[in-house]
Amino acid sequence: MIKIEKISKFYGKKQVLNSIDLEFKKGKIYGIVGENGAGKTTLFRCISGLENYKGNVTSDFKKLNDHLGLLLTEPFFFSKITGKEYIQFLANARQIKQSNIEDKNIFDLPLNQYAANYSTGMKKKLALTAILLQENDVFILDEPFNGVDIQSNLIITEIIKRLKELEKTVIISSHIFSTLADTCDEIYLMKSGEIIKKVEQVDFNKLENEMKEITVGNRIDKLELK
Amino acid sequence: MKEYFLLQFKMLNRRMIDFGLPLLIGYTLLPFVFILLSKYVFEKTEFANYIYGVLALSFVSKLNEPKRNDFLKSIFNKDKYTKLRVLENLIYCLPFTLFLIYKIQLSFSLILNFFVILITFFDFSTNLNVTIPSPFSKKPYEYTVGFRKTFYIFPIAYFLTYISVSVGNFNLGVFSMLLIGLTCFSYYSKIENEYFVWNYNLSSKEFLIEKTKTCLIYFTLLSLPIIIALSISFFREIDILIVFLLLCYSYLTTIIFAKYSSFPNEMNMSQIILIGLSFIFPPILLMFIPLFYSQSIKKLNTILHD
Repeated sequence: MIKIEKISKFYGKKQVLNSIDLEFKKGKIYGIVGENGAGKTTLFRCISGLENYKGNVTSDFKKLNDHLGLLLTEPFFFSKITGKEYIQFLANARQIKQSNIEDKNIFDLPLNQYAANYSTGMKKKLALTAILLQENDVFILDEPFNGVDIQSNLIITEIIKRLKELEKTVIISSHIFSTLADTCDEIYLMKSGEIIKKVEQVDFNKLENEMKEITVGNRIDKLELK
Repeated sequence: MKEYFLLQFKMLNRRMIDFGLPLLIGYTLLPFVFILLSKYVFEKTEFANYIYGVLALSFVSKLNEPKRNDFLKSIFNKDKYTKLRVLENLIYCLPFTLFLIYKIQLSFSLILNFFVILITFFDFSTNLNVTIPSPFSKKPYEYTVGFRKTFYIFPIAYFLTYISVSVGNFNLGVFSMLLIGLTCFSYYSKIENEYFVWNYNLSSKEFLIEKTKTCLIYFTLLSLPIIIALSISFFREIDILIVFLLLCYSYLTTIIFAKYSSFPNEMNMSQIILIGLSFIFPPILLMFIPLFYSQSIKKLNTILHD
């Protein structure tokens, strides 16, 4: 279990996270939704320890980081590292011995080519493969479906379901509501650095309509499109 | 176009400030250092013109980065883009041109500027998908990336060793080892994205030891042909060889510790000055290594959470 207590984060004077309390249980999948700038990525960076924050993050693990697979919105790649070497690097960092990486290449990526030259979707798939092969217990997936083709979308959805079966904890953010509705046990709605709503599976459809109302409203009318 | 150059000027100022260099000092120091280095090249080398030309062209060619130019092409029309790129290249080359004029190398400066304009029209983007094999694939990333960027240095170094042994010039042999040392040193000059440090399930101390161990083992492997050749051919000078080998180890250790001492930022001006000082007076490394080490531990603790 991961427990987040009163997490706040400021960038200068601007508060981006405001006293957030959350609990993520083993074997459950959690979705975090919210408009751009709501604080989802900052929250993930705080949980993973990439950012300093006020508040507490505790877990069942001695060091959460050693059990956490983090998929960033825009994964970073070195200029002359092949896909295979990227996977190897991330496995080495966790002292995981990985052999036959090619056999585990479920997205059919060109593993012997430089990863920095991959397309956006391919980079995401490579980064996801790498953190899956790290044998983590907790996964934070920031926009895992972004830029990814429809076939891979299906595979990623199935991977998330498989992770649940394996009793892993998965936290996902996505703008594609249908994928979250397919996979999540609970969804949290974030706005301006706060969790404004927690929704259980039975109410997902209601949430989608509410989000439309909150986020779209009458904004488009302002464009006076002709 | 004016806005573009103003923006470039602002970016340069910001880079200097980020680097820890106040603008006034930066704009005074940079020309001074440039003139000093240029004078050094012209005084100490036989073919200074050519070395200077290659340096200028390699400096200007940095502006030919495909993604950057694709972006510019998407903003400016063809004529404006060409004018802008030509002007930009000439401005970048201006310090070199001025120094060549000062050295009364007028024809050479004209040829250089001709090439500077010419490279504007080269499209450096390539669809070639060639992956250079690296013997360090099993343990990415510094040597894997570095080897691919500098693979041509190693045959040159080994060839120099061969010449040093054939003509009985020990110093040339040592130089070839130092060349490899310096090449490996350059692999650690840039800081990696914090994500790649965050991923390690090691303590800060273990992380630094792991990085240093890998670096020294791979450096030793790359220099082994030189070490063996020199040890056999110049057995009497083996003590000097060991001293230089230990110096290489010390500098490599220093650069690793210095790199992480400002993590997650790039090394700042003060660290670069300290490293520069150590090249003038190597024993000072005995002070700098523990200093950089303790600073690195502090910085890494924020992300490796000891």
